Amino acid sequence: MTNTATGIIRALNSGIKHIATKRFTLRYPEEKLKFVGDGYQYDPATGVGIAGLKGRHMLFHDHCTGCQLCSIACEGVAEAIAMVKVPEEQKQNKKSIMPQIDYGKCVFCGLCVDACPFYALYMTNDYELSSFTKEGLIYTPAQLQVKPYVEQDSEIIITKWGATHG
Amino acid sequence: MSVIAPNFKLSEFIKSLIDDIVWTVLIMSLIGIPAIMMILFYVPMPVIDGELLTPFLAFTYLADPSRTLPIVQAFMTTDMFKIMAFPGFGFAALLAAGTIFVERKMLAKLQLRVGPFYCGKVEGILQLMGDGLKLISKEIIIPAKADKPIFWAAPVLFVASAAAFVALIPVAPGWVVADVDMGLLAVFAVIGFFPIVTILSAWSANSKFPFIGGIRALFQMVSFEIPLILSLLGVVMVTGTLNLSEIAASQSSFPWILFLPVGAIVFFITMLAELERIPFDLPEAESEIVAGWLTELSGMMYGLVQLGTYLKLYAFAALFVVLFLGGWNGPMVVPPFPMEIVTEGIELGPVTAKIAGLPLFDQEMLNGTFWFILKTVGVIFFILLPRGVFPRIRVDMLLNLGWHKLIGLAFVNIFIALGLVYAGVLGPGGLQ
Amino acid sequence: MTNELPPGLAIQKVDERIMTLNVGPQHPGSGHMRIIVQIDGDYIVACDPDPGYVHRGEEKMAEYRNYITNIPHLERPVIHDSCNVLYPYVLGVEELLGIEVPERAKYVRVICSELNRCIYIMYWLAIYGIFLGHSTMFMWPAGDRELLIDLMEKISGARVTHAHFVPGGVRNDLPPNFEEVCLRQVNYFEKRIKEYAAVFYDNPILISRTENTGVLSREDAIRLGTTGSVLRASGVDYDLRIKEPYDVYEELDVHSPVMKEGDSYARSKIPWLDMLESCNIIKQALQKMPKSGSVRVKLKPNPKGKGLDSVYKRVESGRGSLGCHIVSDGKVEPYRLKLSVGSFRNLIALPYLLKGEKLGNMPSVYWSLNYWPVEADR
Repeated sequence: MTNTATGIIRALNSGIKHIATKRFTLRYPEEKLKFVGDGYQYDPATGVGIAGLKGRHMLFHDHCTGCQLCSIACEGVAEAIAMVKVPEEQKQNKKSIMPQIDYGKCVFCGLCVDACPFYALYMTNDYELSSFTKEGLIYTPAQLQVKPYVEQDSEIIITKWGATHG
Repeated sequence: MSVIAPNFKLSEFIKSLIDDIVWTVLIMSLIGIPAIMMILFYVPMPVIDGELLTPFLAFTYLADPSRTLPIVQAFMTTDMFKIMAFPGFGFAALLAAGTIFVERKMLAKLQLRVGPFYCGKVEGILQLMGDGLKLISKEIIIPAKADKPIFWAAPVLFVASAAAFVALIPVAPGWVVADVDMGLLAVFAVIGFFPIVTILSAWSANSKFPFIGGIRALFQMVSFEIPLILSLLGVVMVTGTLNLSEIAASQSSFPWILFLPVGAIVFFITMLAELERIPFDLPEAESEIVAGWLTELSGMMYGLVQLGTYLKLYAFAALFVVLFLGGWNGPMVVPPFPMEIVTEGIELGPVTAKIAGLPLFDQEMLNGTFWFILKTVGVIFFILLPRGVFPRIRVDMLLNLGWHKLIGLAFVNIFIALGLVYAGVLGPGGLQ
Repeated sequence: MTNELPPGLAIQKVDERIMTLNVGPQHPGSGHMRIIVQIDGDYIVACDPDPGYVHRGEEKMAEYRNYITNIPHLERPVIHDSCNVLYPYVLGVEELLGIEVPERAKYVRVICSELNRCIYIMYWLAIYGIFLGHSTMFMWPAGDRELLIDLMEKISGARVTHAHFVPGGVRNDLPPNFEEVCLRQVNYFEKRIKEYAAVFYDNPILISRTENTGVLSREDAIRLGTTGSVLRASGVDYDLRIKEPYDVYEELDVHSPVMKEGDSYARSKIPWLDMLESCNIIKQALQKMPKSGSVRVKLKPNPKGKGLDSVYKRVESGRGSLGCHIVSDGKVEPYRLKLSVGSFRNLIALPYLLKGEKLGNMPSVYWSLNYWPVEADR
């Protein structure tokens, strides 16, 4: 009986105490979480990746040789990468084909980045890819070339009064 | 990239707005105003400044600022005002809306999140209005095999029962809709309606989960009504009356909770059970029986039941305040009305305006309402708090608690009250 | 036409008193499965769990993909516990291909695995809380889980489907300054989950509600083949991290919690104690981890198995023993791949536990079995 009473009082006390604790919610569109680095990258020389967010890809046209290894890596995972003809002429890219990524299918596993031996395909911190149409989710090589503008500065701060995003 | 509304045209939007306004004005002037006039012809009108107020005069007086307040004052003494606005439905619904907002924000704070936040700019203050609009605009879906008349009537009956309960609560001295001599008995009678409405709604839906929920609600409410009634007998014994206003008035020096704490605790626990609030929300246990007896209700039918639930919550909290915490009694904190405004008027530069009909509210009523609301909000806070820290209990534990423990405690409370009366501490000739 | 129908199709004589409830698949208290419950008043007379609503053929799919492209989709059965689901597969492939994993990668794997175990248990606990009508116990774990998800995001770059383990190590090294951030957040996490005791685990209403309900005795727990927290709640001290240590668990000091009662309360408390133990393991691993070194062995593209070979590896996941049987026939794809998951093994106990219980105990007993529908269906 006394156990029950003290237990109930302890529970109520804990509840009231938490009313004074800081809110933990990340208010997403106003605050955006900060990530380490500029996104997931891969160094084919050592065979080890560099930590970062697996977000939207970035394609370096002056490195891409049109070897299709990224497309092959994506087969059996998401089949999101298709090789398309590009108008520009690069001397290392004889066939003038480059990856085009359908973000409606991509699962952001990053195996295509691991497959690229020419430092041409990286991932960036941009994850806001929503579109009103399915066509809007297909990123052409020209779109993948653009470095995304990201503004992410919120971090988890741990204080005496609880953790919060700020 | 497309936009949200591809066929949007500003001119058509403005045209639709103007259309709406024209139709509203037309219908108001053709039907609304004549309807108001017709009602005013049948309502007995007060006598102001020695002349009987006719409906036409009422309209002209509204344009004359010096005579507005007497009309308002006259209107405030009518039963209509009491039922619709102040101690009755409007006041209770306002407090209920406040309760919902406070519940959501407080629970959110306890759970380290923000709760309603964006609707209405300031901490989501208009969220409830948005929810109401959503419920109104939703389609009402009735199960094919439901008993339709009863199913439709149940939410309305539920709100009506709750409103009847609210009508019995005295808020300030003299401010009560129905000042019945058998007030407490009337309360018990009204509480007795809720299980009937619940089981009717649940059974008429003709669905399994509402049926189980309705049976659970019936069990719970019927078995907790007995400790509820017994726990209040102590107060009746020491006061010797069933009239709620007199019970509240009898606590001018001390509230009964000081002498009858056991009764107050029993009443509080039975109150949680009657309100179907956590830890006693078995009739709506989500993970077991979907939403209990509310499963098949949709749209505004659900909204009505929610309104009734929160009116009931306010009424129970107010009953607790009236019976155990001294009702409207409290130290006088409202400053007295400056009488020179009545006798000499307000000087506005060269003009001295004498406003008739002041003071609108007397000091006692304002003070009583203030203390009543303060105490009620406190009780509501303690009703809301368990939702954050307790899980739901089981039917057998609930019935065990009701029949074995609470009834025993209620009898202990009765013996305490009897002892206090016979020892001469309370009752006639005792403290007071 | 004869009256003899197959047993499943025969029309059963229905007792007037007995009502059949379909709990799920569209029910807030079921998950992606159905429990056919027959009740007599408030008592459950029979219960028939009906999984299979989210069967995705992961095992068959694996036969058509090579050893590397299997990684992203083999973690789909339990995305909250994705590192632990991949763990036996990765260990198995390493043995098939004969790869030696660097020491630092093993520690990184242990850290990821323990973080993921906590993430899974927090999600499980959140649902357990809301099943008992305790909304605070839904919001707190769901919020505090964010601390660890943030850590996993820093390590692997994805919030839930990490795809971080590969045969030969892990995909990338820890980010700079990670040890300090990890220690800070894990310490705070540990402090937070200890606060759950006052509101949830020591709450007299919860204890009276879950104690002595759905009791699974030690003998039954072994006989029914349960695993993980269910087995340990029935008094069997069996944890693969201790009994069959993989990677670097033998160098770490692991104390797996065991309780004797075998009721729903014990089954719900074991995962919570597991989380405290996981925090402990993470801290140890951060201390003992080599500060530098490679984390991944470079494989040749499209690795192949060495002829006809088979391997069975198992790890302790958030739901108990999780095994992966891989048969290779020397091609780039596995010949057969089978997962043996803790969820399905624990679900077998459900009809035995629910028989004779009250309907109100159904959610707490069901979810205390640490069952994840998607994993059981695979």
